Amino acid sequence: MDQRLGNAWRMTVNERKFVETALSSGLRVDGRDLFDYRKLGIKFGSEDGSAEVHLGQTRVLAFVTSQLVQPYRDRPNEGMLSVFTEFSPMADPSFEPGRPGDSAIELGRVIDRGLRESRAIDMESLCILSGKLVWAIRIDLHIIDNGGNLIDAANIAALAGLLASRRPECSLGGENGQDVIIHPPEVREPLPLIVHHLPIAVTFAIFDDESTVVIDPTYLEEEVMGGRITATLNTNGEVCAIQKAGGMAIPQNVIMHCLRMAATKAGDMTSKIKEAVDAYNRERTLRKIKRHPLPGSVGIRANIEKKQKKSQPLSAGDDSSMIKETEGKVRSIGGNSHKDGSNNSIIGSSSSWDPYSKGVNTELLKLSLAFRESSNHLKPQEESQSGDDEHLSEAKADEVAKDMEEPSRTPNAARSGVQSNGERTLMDAVKPKHKREKKEITQM
Amino acid sequence: MAWGGSDPGCPLLRRLPDQTSGRRTTPAAGAPQFEGLMEIDRADGRTPNQLRPLSCSRGVLHRAHGSASWSQGNTQILAAAYGPKAGTKKNENPERASFEVIWKPKSGQIGKQEEEYEMILKRTIQSICVLTVNPNTTTSVIVQVVHDDGALLPCAINAACAALVDAGIPLKHLAVSICCSLVEPGIVMLDPTKLEEEKMKAFTYLVFPNSSHSVLNKGSAQSENNDETEQGLITSVTHGIMSVDDYLQCLERGRAATTKLSDFLRRNLQPQLPSNT
Repeated sequence: MDQRLGNAWRMTVNERKFVETALSSGLRVDGRDLFDYRKLGIKFGSEDGSAEVHLGQTRVLAFVTSQLVQPYRDRPNEGMLSVFTEFSPMADPSFEPGRPGDSAIELGRVIDRGLRESRAIDMESLCILSGKLVWAIRIDLHIIDNGGNLIDAANIAALAGLLASRRPECSLGGENGQDVIIHPPEVREPLPLIVHHLPIAVTFAIFDDESTVVIDPTYLEEEVMGGRITATLNTNGEVCAIQKAGGMAIPQNVIMHCLRMAATKAGDMTSKIKEAVDAYNRERTLRKIKRHPLPGSVGIRANIEKKQKKSQPLSAGDDSSMIKETEGKVRSIGGNSHKDGSNNSIIGSSSSWDPYSKGVNTELLKLSLAFRESSNHLKPQEESQSGDDEHLSEAKADEVAKDMEEPSRTPNAARSGVQSNGERTLMDAVKPKHKREKKEITQM
Repeated sequence: MAWGGSDPGCPLLRRLPDQTSGRRTTPAAGAPQFEGLMEIDRADGRTPNQLRPLSCSRGVLHRAHGSASWSQGNTQILAAAYGPKAGTKKNENPERASFEVIWKPKSGQIGKQEEEYEMILKRTIQSICVLTVNPNTTTSVIVQVVHDDGALLPCAINAACAALVDAGIPLKHLAVSICCSLVEPGIVMLDPTKLEEEKMKAFTYLVFPNSSHSVLNKGSAQSENNDETEQGLITSVTHGIMSVDDYLQCLERGRAATTKLSDFLRRNLQPQLPSNT
């Protein structure tokens, strides 16, 4: 409709001349060097697999979701990957709603090629039943703000979304092993995708005097440029894809120079993405530890930390799973104590991981209560030192149950006792043997 | 008026703590008599009249003329407005400004639900904007769902209103929107999350004009003014069955809650003055 033309932004002759003249003397409008990226910011949403990337003024949202589908007939063992791009009309006045235009399709294809052909994602791990059920990963990219260089920003967003995404764990069951049971996130921790390497797209804009090449053009520079070349590389220096669709002709030496430049930039970008994803994963595991707002909850928290630290010297390689086990135990016991009548309210309803059914836990509680009454603290703690995982988690459950019973009965004394335990956590982590004796003393 | 019997099947309702023992007991099956009110136990610890934490930021996008990001708890919506462009569509009145709303869901399939949301948003915006200032123009409002955790349409209306303010589109008053849900006949809960919404018997999205602060005639005259201007309900969308009394109760609760929302909006949208002047 003609109304759209009225709203389209057109560059003035003065702006164009300004950008061209500045570039011919090696200056960029925003003051960057010719081969500098703009400031990169990666944020993750509350849902698994959602990421938002700011590259200067450009903003892209990525949502990565997974679904169970039938595989292609010629690839019965591989999962599927699809990339959908949406150029939202809020990004640019010239973007129209409805069917994606040429540049949207090109962007989607470049990102797809970088991921699929270079085998960045392990497709075979997505297979559940060969020939019948596989995971199909869907990446939705929404361009929110067009500040230039959409391909690079969207690529980073897709990678961040893939690294942050989780899919529910499945197991085969049933009579002949053909039924697929999908475990909800409360029962089993969802799994991340296996990503072998990160293909980073680096876009170069070429200008009319053939020797000026800049990285990461802004939308002003994109209006002025003569051509564009995008190279997708990973940190190993492998070229995953190169896209140069028309535009100005570039001499060979310029292309080689660009590829060398792209290799260094890919390394930088990969480390930035990995840092952001690691920080997000750490924050995510911390979020899973439920903090109960009890009056004696200070003691319980101290116990949780102590248990985590205790788990570290005992099983170094299996750190995160131990922490999750303790989380599961604490949460399930928190649930039981709700029924028992201590006043607490469990905040939040998102994932809790409980490897054992609730029935087992109440029995453990009864056992622990029986132990308490017989005033024999040493037995479960001795078991815990045996190094057997199951005993360890049971013992931890006993200890936690005991400690939770304590606050409800004698809040003040227990709090002080347990808090003094908390004060000793760091030393306890270093010397596990002595901890047993100290615990004995404080619990008396 | 006696409350209905306790419903052990409903997970949200439970009795208040027994004063003597200090312990909370779940309603025993088939226990009809009890003292005290039924209290609603929400998963995140809110009272039935408590809203989720609100946050609003304006001017988040660079190319759009006006933009706002609004979040209520985990529901987050990004709205952008592009100022008046020349021309209107064929079936729009050229003597007035017209609006175009584009709703972008999170995963890209645009269906009937999205078109319904677009229509509701468009009509709501048309009633809050001054349509005669810029005749024969089209203003676009684009709404992007970032995360959906219940009360999606109210969040979107609030975000769109903030985006319009950011773009400088002339408005008569702001629109403040809230979701009221019916747990059981007679019990109204505000601002449910997605899980709570699915368990509700009915819920309704309500849009009110924001409460006005009048500079003249404080006191009784102002309350009269408020009665007149705040009577108006701009939009109401209901899902599920509710009795007329329940609906009116929802309206009252909703209107009461909008004063809080209006204050928040007003504080947020007022231009920040530099602190050293």
